Amino acid sequence: MLSRRKFIAIAGGVGAAGVAGGAAAWSTLLHDHVDDAVAQRDQASASTQPGTTGGATATAASGNANRVLVVLQLSGGNDGLNTLIPSDGRYRDARHTLAIPEGDLVAINAAGYALHPSLAPLVPLWNGGTLTALEGIGMKDQSRSHFKAMDTWWSATPGASSQTGWLGRWLDATEKGKEPNPLRAVALGGGSPALVGMTALPTVVISPAEFTLRTPRGCDAKTLTDAFLATAQPLNTGNDLFAAAQQSFPDTLDAIDVLQKVRTQASGQAATVGNGAQGATALLQSAAGIIEQGIGTQVILVAISGFDTHADQLTRQKSLLADVGEGIAQFVARIQKAGKADDVLLMTTSEFGRRVAENASIGTDHGTGSVSFVVGNGINGGKVVGDLGLGALVDGDVPISVDTRSLYSVALDWLGGPTDPVLGATFDRYGILK
Amino acid sequence: MLLVNEHEKVLWLARRAAFGFAPGELEQFEPKGAAAYLDRLVDPDAHGVAAAPDPFADIVEVTDPQDNKTRAEMLQKFTYSWIDHMVNTPRRLDEMMTWFWHDHFAVQSSVVRSGRLMADHISLLRTHALGNFRTMIREVATNAAMLIYLDGDKSTSQAPNENFGRELLELFTLGIGNYTETDVRSAAVALTGWQVLLRQGARPSFNPRLHDSRPQTLLGRSVNDVDSVVNAAVDSPSTATFIAGKIANFFLGPGIDAALIGQFATTFKAANFELRPMVRAVLQAGVDGKGGPIVQSPLVWWVATRRATGVAPDARTIVRYLESAGQVPGSPPNVGGWPGMTAWLGASPTAMRATMASVAAELAAPTSPLLTAAASGDFARVATLLNVGGGFAPSTTAAIKTLGNCGVRPGVGALTLALASPDVLIG
Repeated sequence: MLSRRKFIAIAGGVGAAGVAGGAAAWSTLLHDHVDDAVAQRDQASASTQPGTTGGATATAASGNANRVLVVLQLSGGNDGLNTLIPSDGRYRDARHTLAIPEGDLVAINAAGYALHPSLAPLVPLWNGGTLTALEGIGMKDQSRSHFKAMDTWWSATPGASSQTGWLGRWLDATEKGKEPNPLRAVALGGGSPALVGMTALPTVVISPAEFTLRTPRGCDAKTLTDAFLATAQPLNTGNDLFAAAQQSFPDTLDAIDVLQKVRTQASGQAATVGNGAQGATALLQSAAGIIEQGIGTQVILVAISGFDTHADQLTRQKSLLADVGEGIAQFVARIQKAGKADDVLLMTTSEFGRRVAENASIGTDHGTGSVSFVVGNGINGGKVVGDLGLGALVDGDVPISVDTRSLYSVALDWLGGPTDPVLGATFDRYGILK
Repeated sequence: MLLVNEHEKVLWLARRAAFGFAPGELEQFEPKGAAAYLDRLVDPDAHGVAAAPDPFADIVEVTDPQDNKTRAEMLQKFTYSWIDHMVNTPRRLDEMMTWFWHDHFAVQSSVVRSGRLMADHISLLRTHALGNFRTMIREVATNAAMLIYLDGDKSTSQAPNENFGRELLELFTLGIGNYTETDVRSAAVALTGWQVLLRQGARPSFNPRLHDSRPQTLLGRSVNDVDSVVNAAVDSPSTATFIAGKIANFFLGPGIDAALIGQFATTFKAANFELRPMVRAVLQAGVDGKGGPIVQSPLVWWVATRRATGVAPDARTIVRYLESAGQVPGSPPNVGGWPGMTAWLGASPTAMRATMASVAAELAAPTSPLLTAAASGDFARVATLLNVGGGFAPSTTAAIKTLGNCGVRPGVGALTLALASPDVLIG
């Protein structure tokens, strides 16, 4: 029997449109018909002289292969103002019903800010210098539409459409000439356009708990697996989509093997699962399990949803942030125990913040600037980078003080670059990495 | 996608527009030709194809806010009944278009929290599935499930909520880039005043005291209520193209020539936004070979699998699998609907298709044409019964053969692989 990797290597020769695989559909949805010229340009920009500019690109080949980036996407547009809460009086003036009572705030060592009570599990990280916040984060020209705004966050090409995501371009650039490993980038909880590259093959697992292959009774599991693999040989090189469908079996079987091991390991551990199997706590435990496997996974994207709090925000965000706070704390505890904490950087993203003013439904509408957190032993934490600008609202919104691509620069530097070529320019790193 | 004969053309229509054939149907429709079958799909009344009974007849509103158990049961019943209806309805294209509109006018059960209101919403989409787009969207705009889902029921003159107004322009009519932020706000203001009150049986109602009736400018027109907002959006020049393009993409795959979409849009507009002539033109283009390959979505694939095999496995188990595959009716991931196409080639959908295929193959009756063909090694016949026009790829046939006759009955293993094969998936 041919090895699975061999199939993947063969597949590397298939046209780019087909092999974008897992999550490319979002781009298709968002950009209807992206012409080849744009695709070519993306590919060119992603592979232009990696390592010639930017921060930590020189270290690309020197031992950062163990490093892992975990991105926790809070889909729906998290309300940053009620996450990292300012002591600025204008906050309480604007939020008569939604302001978190002062008595409930969780104090941290940060002048002018406190945390939402649900984020109490993060206090030790903040005060220990392994958690930092980027305030007023976003990109100019980002839209209030979820789809356009997420697209902008994922592509990191504001004002221009792109067929690739920022992490997909990094994967493309660093995989050049190597046998692609689909488990190098894993999305848990849903596909992510951020991982879509021209040649990179991310693995998308919607529900790790359900992720198995059932063998019909009376058939041997290995015979069936081998037969599924055999449908991928030879790949139909005349039909990209058919070839991508053929290739999905080897990729899936690899991923099932890994998640099976993660499940076996996790069965002995008692993690508190907030918001069920699709919540941050459960998915970050799967992410920790994958990191423990040491199978070369460098990027893990965890997507959770529900942050679009147009109504009933107090109750909903309280539960969502509890899952986020608990999930991050348990994740950090687990990778520490596994001796991997020095290798991992975690960050949170959300497509936009919400309006400063509340609406009539005890909720908030789509806004602009939001908050991101960065967690890791490798950072100079305990700081708020950027500022809220409540005195200088733009159209009733928190203005953007930190470009999202600064956050991405930190992330890609952490992975060893290339950074600036992937992002198209040089952005301030704010000294976040040690 | 070149279709060389009537056999392939009829099967293409079955795959794309009808959730596949049941055994015997190909033999029924192929002799009359693709043109006749297309006409039957598009105009079932003219062919005496009656509608199936209302699948949601026994789903009731739960008026006790504390009764979460019945509420959850009714939501499940909605999902299970709809899947059954997709398998059993004789009006196949009506149902495929209803499914399309559910993706377009996406609402989530988890937010609506009422099986009855979800059922009403889908019934509304089915009524207008091939009818008039303007009429449909006007009804959708004040449909209870939609009002709840996009917060229209909480939007008042004092604090207009922009959620529905924005999606109306961005996702339901014009498409992004064809309106301004001011248009969004104008739409939101003019749409204020609608409520869905449980004490009124969760029927939508209009409360003039909560409505801001001052005229707003939307897309260059003066609007002050739901009718004027919907008309301004529908009449905007980009709407016909946006809707025709999305329907063309659904049936023909991505990358369809803009000029062809322009023709569909012209047909659509000339028919005063009647959908039937435009959908007919799109399907005709597919029969004429102007479409490309698509990836069957997990739900469409599953309905076709049930119809071809004749099985009806435990709905709860199947919905759990569909959830892991990423596609349960009533539970789109967000207001944008499902991602589609290559997302369905991801690891989760792939694993779940193989799992569901094994369930269907195991439950197939020993006398079913598919299992009989699989057991006897007639894989060309298996391919035809699974609506694959030109037979399986040699790689697929060779792989199926390695399974021999494993399974609780001869052919079960072979049928599992055939159902989950790339040949069936890439429709």
